Amino acid sequence: MSKPRVAIYDLTDCEGCEVELVSLRDALLLLLDKIDLVNWRLGQENNKPGPFDITLIEGTPITQHEIDLLKKLRKQSKLLIALGACAAIGGIPGIMDKAERRKWYDKIYGKGYKPRGIDSLPLSAYVDVDFLIHGCPVNKEEVLRILEELLSGKQPSYRGYSVCFDCKRANNECRMVNSQPCLGPITQGGCEAVCVSGGSTCYGCFGYRDEANVKGMVRALSRVSDRQAIDRLFTMFLKKTKEYDKVVKPALKNLKP
Amino acid sequence: MITKEFITRIEGHGNLSVDWKKNTVHLHIHEGERLFEGLLIDRTAEEMIWITPRICGVCPVAHNMASVDAVEKALGVEPGPTVLALRELLQCGQMIQSHALHLFFLALPDYLGIDRATELADKDPVAFKRALALKEVSDLIVKVVGGRSVHPVTSVVGGFNRAPAQSALVKLRRKLDASAGAAQWTVDLCRRLKYPDLKVELALVAQSKGSIAAVSSLDIDKRRKAPIENYKEEIEEEVKDYSTAKFGRCRGEVELVGALARLAVSGAYDAEKYGVDFANPFHNNLAQAIEILHYHTKARRIVNKLLKGKMNLAIKKMKRRPPLKGIGATEAPRGGLYHEVHLGKQGSRLQKTITYANIVTPTVQNLTSIEKSARALIDQSSGVSRKKMEKLLVMLVRAYDPCISCSAH
Repeated sequence: MSKPRVAIYDLTDCEGCEVELVSLRDALLLLLDKIDLVNWRLGQENNKPGPFDITLIEGTPITQHEIDLLKKLRKQSKLLIALGACAAIGGIPGIMDKAERRKWYDKIYGKGYKPRGIDSLPLSAYVDVDFLIHGCPVNKEEVLRILEELLSGKQPSYRGYSVCFDCKRANNECRMVNSQPCLGPITQGGCEAVCVSGGSTCYGCFGYRDEANVKGMVRALSRVSDRQAIDRLFTMFLKKTKEYDKVVKPALKNLKP
Repeated sequence: MITKEFITRIEGHGNLSVDWKKNTVHLHIHEGERLFEGLLIDRTAEEMIWITPRICGVCPVAHNMASVDAVEKALGVEPGPTVLALRELLQCGQMIQSHALHLFFLALPDYLGIDRATELADKDPVAFKRALALKEVSDLIVKVVGGRSVHPVTSVVGGFNRAPAQSALVKLRRKLDASAGAAQWTVDLCRRLKYPDLKVELALVAQSKGSIAAVSSLDIDKRRKAPIENYKEEIEEEVKDYSTAKFGRCRGEVELVGALARLAVSGAYDAEKYGVDFANPFHNNLAQAIEILHYHTKARRIVNKLLKGKMNLAIKKMKRRPPLKGIGATEAPRGGLYHEVHLGKQGSRLQKTITYANIVTPTVQNLTSIEKSARALIDQSSGVSRKKMEKLLVMLVRAYDPCISCSAH
């Protein structure tokens, strides 16, 4: 049986998730034995066009060229996988709203500037995405697990638990219990709770876990935080998710400022 | 057009166009605009140091450090000596991470005649093992201090949420000891490489003891200095219609920043012994190798010192009336990086929101110089076939180690 043809593409982003792939070191070599990596701009000079069996896409499609490329890759790929928060949920570039862009082009580049960017949305705004590998950046072990499941022909699974579970395993004190805002309870696990272990909050870069009670989360946060701070927590990575528009925003409206 | 597709094995999306008759070279930058200076507005001071690392996954620590510096100056916070030592260690890790990634995975395949760095695993397994050892130890430095190898989680205004555990530092020291040979070997390897000939007059610019120092690539004893606070006057940025990144110059001169410029400005690290040619930008690769060794040695020194002393993360001083404006600066792997922030009056220190942000990245400063060096390369390579010339030009772009994500932030 021939090896699956795999491509790795990056759109506008920081490329930190690809850096994590390189950081897999020996495990990356083992992975490369099992696949035919036919296209990886960052890593090699000789790149072949599609069709591909699996295409990993990192970054946010911001320019028209990127949106067109993404649609072409969708047609050429059996499986299209989002690699990291920018591709999966919009992430940090998603903090910028479309309506605000012109103002900032003028301020940053000057009035005559012809922008390339249109909007900063996740891949799923333009194409169907078969699976999301979450994280800013992705967790290396999770990438390996998901790719191994894909390569063995299985439908990869999302983690059925929240970051709280990772926190317990890491022996962290619960931030919410200590009255420190945290999105861990509604966020999908698999990150090893690396941010909370390092003393930061959880901003939800792994996306919502299944059946997350987002409304309940806002209510719980309102006991330890104010409206603006809760909004900032959700808008770090999750601003371009439908849950933010449909649940978080209305729930925040009912809170005292 | 010489590169129809994006240039491979560089960070981000760019391509070159050359008009062979007119001898013009344009470096087109296609990265989408993320508008970081806009999306920071109304975020809090403490969020700035969380957001800006996402400008670049290859040098996130540098952005984190530049923002920490800017915010601490704005808030009148002065960190203590342990914090400063830990930050220096973090920077050592960042330099080795970035240089090792660039040298082994992006640049060296050109010189070693392979397509993808992992092919080295079959061709020269010992060499590949050494390359991986450097990647591993630098990732470990950043993880031990910063909590994660990409996008630090422990670093905050005033210092760190937690100090590394003694046991983690002991393990790190062991890994550093074991990889010292690999660092020296990298220098020896890069010294033996045959770099293409090239001679370009450029201003080599690097931060040095609170100033921005510039020397000439043709005469590194000719030196000019300006305080870092003048960064906006020193580094002028120009918008080009073919690029989403601005193009920088230093006081009107075409400048090169990064490893080669740091060697020239500091005058240290045995540059002469290793035969570094400051007028040849291809030698940036050699300079990066020398820096890997330098920062590896420095990291060992800091770890040993930390293991002997006591960790104290307390803030040294805090101004009662903070200026609410700060300019943060650091040498990122690719050169001088500047973050400026202004904060509003409302709220407690860390909850004050950002009213203005300005970021000048190293690659912006290098873009003008990549074009100039490319023109010089075409001029100075007579009798070279078009195909060979195209290959050389792409190698030249790679030698600069451009970070296009940074440049089009």
